[in-house]
Formats: sequence, C-alpha cells, structure tokens
Amino acid sequence: MAVEVKVPTILRKHTDGAKVVSGAGRTLRELIDDLNARHPGMREAILTESGDLHRFINVYLNDEDVRFLGSLETPLSDGDTVSILPAVAGG
Amino acid sequence: MPRSTHLEGCSTVDGFAIPEHVARALIEHAQEEYPKECCGILAGPPGEVRELHRLTNIDPDPVMRYNADPRELKRVTDEIDEKDWEIVSIYHSHTHTPAFPSQTDVERAYYPEAVYTLVSLADRQDPDLRAFRILDGRIEELPVAMWDPTS
Repeated sequence: MAVEVKVPTILRKHTDGAKVVSGAGRTLRELIDDLNARHPGMREAILTESGDLHRFINVYLNDEDVRFLGSLETPLSDGDTVSILPAVAGG
Repeated sequence: MPRSTHLEGCSTVDGFAIPEHVARALIEHAQEEYPKECCGILAGPPGEVRELHRLTNIDPDPVMRYNADPRELKRVTDEIDEKDWEIVSIYHSHTHTPAFPSQTDVERAYYPEAVYTLVSLADRQDPDLRAFRILDGRIEELPVAMWDPTS
C-alpha cells in the first residue's frame, strides 16, 4: 500500500526537510513503523512510550481525524494521503 | 485597542505586523470566549497576516488551557494550503494572566515557524496583545506593529 504522508515542519528534521514522503502499510500502525524505518525518530514523535497516538499529534486519513476512524488500526488503501498536524495547544 | 506601535501602511517591519481589523477580530474572539481561552490561526502569504481563522477550544480545562478542534484545524490548514499561504501566527488568550507564554505554551509550541500571538484579558477594559517566537524552549518577544491596510 503506497501512501503519501504530509509532514509538519516540526517533524521535517527526521525527513531531511521533506514536506511529503512516501510510506507503506496496511494500517496506520504499520505505516508508522515503515516511516520510522525510513526516517528514524518518526515513531517516537508520533507515539507515546506505551505505543498510543500522542495526545498532541493529530493524524488524518485523507480528511478525517483517525481518532474518529480506527486510530492506529485504521486500514489504509493504495493512494491514501495521511497528514500529520501537531495540536494547536497551550495554556 | 491594545497597546502597540502604530505604523500606518507598513506591512513589513522588523517585528510582527498585524492589520488593525485582524487585531480587533482577535480581541473580539477573546472577549466572546471569556473566561475561557480562545484560539485560532492568522494566515496569509509568507510572513504577512491577511486572515483570521477562529478555532474551537476543546481542551477539558478551557479556562486554563487551549487545544484547537483537530477537524477544524485540518479544514483550516487545507484552505490555507490551497492558497499557497501559511500559518503566519497561532493566537490564544490568557484570561487571568499577562500576555506572556506560560510554561505550557512553551511545552506545546509545536509550530516553531509561527509567531505566537497572545492577548491578555486580565484587564478586560484594556486588552494587551503581544507576539512571540518560541524556539527550542526559548521565548523571544517581537514588537507588534498595527497597520491599516486601507490607508
């Protein structure tokens, strides 16, 4: 499953500055593993130590927030776009 | 109006230039949400504020924290991308403390490329609007210049 991944500025240090990278996986979890193999550091930027989606990282499959789909088990299809957007958050 | 330097017709100054009508809209948003914190995005061509996009604060403790609705955030950033614009600034309000980044603001400054604009309503009659860069845990204040794009 070839998937296009849009990378936010704060994570581009892991992608040599690339805004868009390719990845593969049948689920979002597999995609994140694949991204991490190609771009070390991506997994820990997106997931917590216990392997859950980080509270302040939003991941979207096409236009939908994956928290409203299957979270890390969200199935992916060839040609999908996964976007990563850090939270707009503070105190 | 907030305290600021006023530079008429000046869109590129050494600091952070914000059109007056956008600053007014930002303060209106903060007043409407009071005592909760408001949040949103100022967008435009690189380095130039043209539009304000309100976002809904969904943090469970909205008086002390903000976290923008992720679906709205996606919709707004897609709109910005389609115009080849960028997120020039992320704004939020402090309703009880000064317009200075809190420790939480620094910890959650996930957009190092953006200017963080804060408005304080600690004195509701006299909102204080200030702008900052937050890079690697360091805070740098930028002078705010209001300007009137119609003049």
